[in-house]
Amino acid sequence: MNKIIELYLYIEGILSSAKFAVVIITLFAIALVYGTFQESYHGAVFAGRLVYKSWWFMGIEALMFLSIFMATMVRLPVKKRLYGFYVIHAGLLTIFIGSFFTYVNGVDGSIQLLPNTPAKKLVINEDVLRIDFMGDNKSFKVPLPKTAFAKDLDIDVNGIQINTFLPSAELKTTWIEDPMMSTSQHSGHFQIFNDMVSQEVILSLSDKSDFKSMQKMGPLTLHYMPFLLKDCFLKKDPSGYIIWNLTNGECFTPKEKSLIVDKTDKGTNFVLLEDGKGKYIKFFPDFSPVPVLDDLSKDMNSPYRVLSKNLFKDKPNLFIFGEDIVYYKKRKKDWIGLSLKDDIAKLPWMSFKLRLIKHSNDSFPVETPSYIRPIQDSGEIVKGDLKAVQVTLGNNTYWLNSNAPLALSNGKSEIRLMLTAKEIKLPYQLTLNKFKMNKNPGTNNPASYESFVQLLDGRSTDGVTKHHVYMNNPLKYDDFTFYQASYFPIGPEQYGSVLSVNYDPGRFLKYLGCFLTVFGSIWHYIINRKRKKATA
Amino acid sequence: MKKTILGLFFVIFSLQTSANICDSFKEELPLQAGGRVKPLFVLAKESVKFLTGKSKYNNEPQVVTFCKLTLIDQYPEYKNIPLLVEHIESKELVGLPIDEKFMSADKLLLKKDLIRSEIMKQKQSTPFKKDLNKLYSRVDTYEKIITKKTQMFFSTETKTWVSLNEISSLTNETLPTVLKNNMKDYIESEGDHYLLELTYVKSHVYSWALLLCIIGIILTVLLKSMKLGISFALATIFLEIAGMTMRILVSGRAPVTNMYETVMFSGFGALVISLGILYIRRDKVFLLAGFGYNILCLFMMMFANNMLSSSISPLVPVLRDNFWLSTHVTTIILSYAALALSWMVANITIFKMLAKKLTKKEYRYYQDLTYTCIKVGIVLLAIGIILGGVWADYSWGRFWGWDPKETWSLIVLLFYIIIVHGRYTSWLTTHRFILMSAGGFMTVMMAWFGVNYILASGLHSYGFSEGGAIFLGTFFAIQTVILIIAYKQRHKEI
Repeated sequence: MNKIIELYLYIEGILSSAKFAVVIITLFAIALVYGTFQESYHGAVFAGRLVYKSWWFMGIEALMFLSIFMATMVRLPVKKRLYGFYVIHAGLLTIFIGSFFTYVNGVDGSIQLLPNTPAKKLVINEDVLRIDFMGDNKSFKVPLPKTAFAKDLDIDVNGIQINTFLPSAELKTTWIEDPMMSTSQHSGHFQIFNDMVSQEVILSLSDKSDFKSMQKMGPLTLHYMPFLLKDCFLKKDPSGYIIWNLTNGECFTPKEKSLIVDKTDKGTNFVLLEDGKGKYIKFFPDFSPVPVLDDLSKDMNSPYRVLSKNLFKDKPNLFIFGEDIVYYKKRKKDWIGLSLKDDIAKLPWMSFKLRLIKHSNDSFPVETPSYIRPIQDSGEIVKGDLKAVQVTLGNNTYWLNSNAPLALSNGKSEIRLMLTAKEIKLPYQLTLNKFKMNKNPGTNNPASYESFVQLLDGRSTDGVTKHHVYMNNPLKYDDFTFYQASYFPIGPEQYGSVLSVNYDPGRFLKYLGCFLTVFGSIWHYIINRKRKKATA
Repeated sequence: MKKTILGLFFVIFSLQTSANICDSFKEELPLQAGGRVKPLFVLAKESVKFLTGKSKYNNEPQVVTFCKLTLIDQYPEYKNIPLLVEHIESKELVGLPIDEKFMSADKLLLKKDLIRSEIMKQKQSTPFKKDLNKLYSRVDTYEKIITKKTQMFFSTETKTWVSLNEISSLTNETLPTVLKNNMKDYIESEGDHYLLELTYVKSHVYSWALLLCIIGIILTVLLKSMKLGISFALATIFLEIAGMTMRILVSGRAPVTNMYETVMFSGFGALVISLGILYIRRDKVFLLAGFGYNILCLFMMMFANNMLSSSISPLVPVLRDNFWLSTHVTTIILSYAALALSWMVANITIFKMLAKKLTKKEYRYYQDLTYTCIKVGIVLLAIGIILGGVWADYSWGRFWGWDPKETWSLIVLLFYIIIVHGRYTSWLTTHRFILMSAGGFMTVMMAWFGVNYILASGLHSYGFSEGGAIFLGTFFAIQTVILIIAYKQRHKEI
């Protein structure tokens, strides 16, 4: 027994000592310095997860609490000259306890308000994997860990295995070899650039690829087509149509096969193609590349497709046939074909140029997320602003990321997976009546943001109440506080508003603790000064 | 012969009229620019400085330069006004020899698109990109002045702010008459409050304060007269209060919203606090520390123009709360001022120690003096941080968010708390205490300047090569060398 007491007194002696305090405060300060640099390089979320909300940082905080507590305990019973000391340290302990309440029970989220649309959904900054089994109407929300690094998980949800979570990732393109690939399923990697901007594009005709065969870049549209169609595309035909066969790659113009090209009574262009069995395949090339059946529905089973080149003359359209390109030159009123094999091609729009970086007809590109630390530049996350999860269903593994939900099938029904943020439903609803932004006179810089909202709470008899939320003037309602946080444009001079929403159960304790600490330190110095005078 | 005389006559005539027109560009003319109304003199002074990097062009009054730029069609030679190009890569881009610093405005204007596209090309914010942004804004400012878009004139007819072109289209009067009437009408309808800024800028109040400080410190040291010193300190404080009051009246807010203002306020605060401490502990060293630190601040305000901009511009929305600005920020800056005093006293002690051997008792005495300043600093800093937390809670809904600025202020507090607790251990001897107090101000500098100049620029900006970071780096280096020398010296003695 005596030994236990001795041991306790020994530990108490260490924990309550000024040396222990100095060590712990030093560790705490070093951790903070580390945290601020991480914050500056990798952003607030990463720094929070790496340092401020990590177990070891909480451990330092716990030791600090212990140090303050023990230092106070060993100075009991109460001595008059230590009144200030007690109050300071009691204040600090109170702040710690208040912060702990906030950490455990606090809510920190935001609510998005569109004009005149009631909203009650609070978005919390926590990652959730939502899995919807469409067949049996079951829905699961799997909370994902608040980790700074990639983390392996072992969670099974109705046969779906959740393997890995990447809290910050970027998409990496890999090319997968496939010797069985048909020749018309090639893919390409291009750089389009001028003196001002540069962008890389990957286009693919393979149905296994994550990349599409069409991409819009501002006013310009890129169409990636099988290379076999190029010669056919450049053939001159008065109709401006080309027709091709998906199965064998055969391509021809109406003139070559003497097809019937005419207009209906209402003036709609059509083409008729004899299928060899005496039946006619009907196309309306101005509306759809797919032929139509007698009831005018699309015949998706037909191997034939049509393209009306006339549709692509007005706006910037670039046709890429593997390693060759074709565009319409308005001045010459003709289609121009260029090869990318040996040279960079000049495009006729805003001195843009096109470079072929890679062309492949025996591999296809896929995008897989890979973990990177987020990178912050001038206060914004410029890289790694993507989260991803890897799941297994049956024998196949899939990636989904925060930009691209995933739809799978387990043989019975469809399963939809989505990476999203946690949501809380408020028991009342907020509606944005108006968002106002004042600007500094004569400039475009905002001087203030203001939201005029109305609140409707079914539980109360007050009916609709109106509130004015602006910087430094939040709305307090039902334990929650709503602050003007941000805004987003939804149309010309029309804005939606974002309010940050907060519930802080530790608030009172933190305020009390702060007051005690400051009051205590002043008292402490006054007592010391009096004592000094008395001894002097 | 006739032709030459006629030509000469024309030249003289045009010079005559031109002189007349720019005479009507009075310093007091009210203009709306950069989101607020200011006297022409202020805009002209800031513009000329920003464009040319020098306070004057052609040795003529800034308003004349500004007038001639505005009326560039009549003064085509002003298209050659040299604009400042700083970064080597920027010079390369616009085709300026590396040993030259200026490029004529019309040539640079042709490169505006090139500069723009280069900015777009640079993905990460390197010093080059930052300089390009500055250069672009310089060319843009020039273009906006000559196309009369920067400066809006008060229209007597519509009572609104319109461009110079619109003014001419609204009336048939000559420009000088219009401008004369404008000023009169504006003052009649809105008052002459804006003219205070002219008084403020032209009073050079901080130069006078600097002069008083220097005389004060010399008298205190040479004549060993506390009384003279205190009277000069009081006079300095009076001047600085006058200056700050004018600034507050012009900007309508507490003078602590940018680096320039915080430097100004901390210098003032340190002098006030030093007098306050002097009242309790009569030691000359506080007065010297207060003077010394005030002089450093005034020097920075005057000569570190690259880092501290003296111009008054509108605040971002979140800071627009005078109550919290004037409580939270002023408390923090006052605490930095008190800690600056402890830093001065500690360094003075170090130099005394290096110059002549201080006795152990004297050394202890100076430790005590330093500690007095630290105590004031700690309490003020704790109050300031808490007020910041309360403000953040009040306007953002969180008391604490581990934001770098607030975290660094906490690091400063923790550092000084380590000193306070260290005094109760055997680890912190008098010598180490003095060294730590002298070095501790580096954490203050980091929280005050470093967060903005080093941390805010992030990993990929190589922030260390820029104005603010160079200043900080130099400061850290000098202080560290002093600490090392002092540390070794004491070791030899023992």
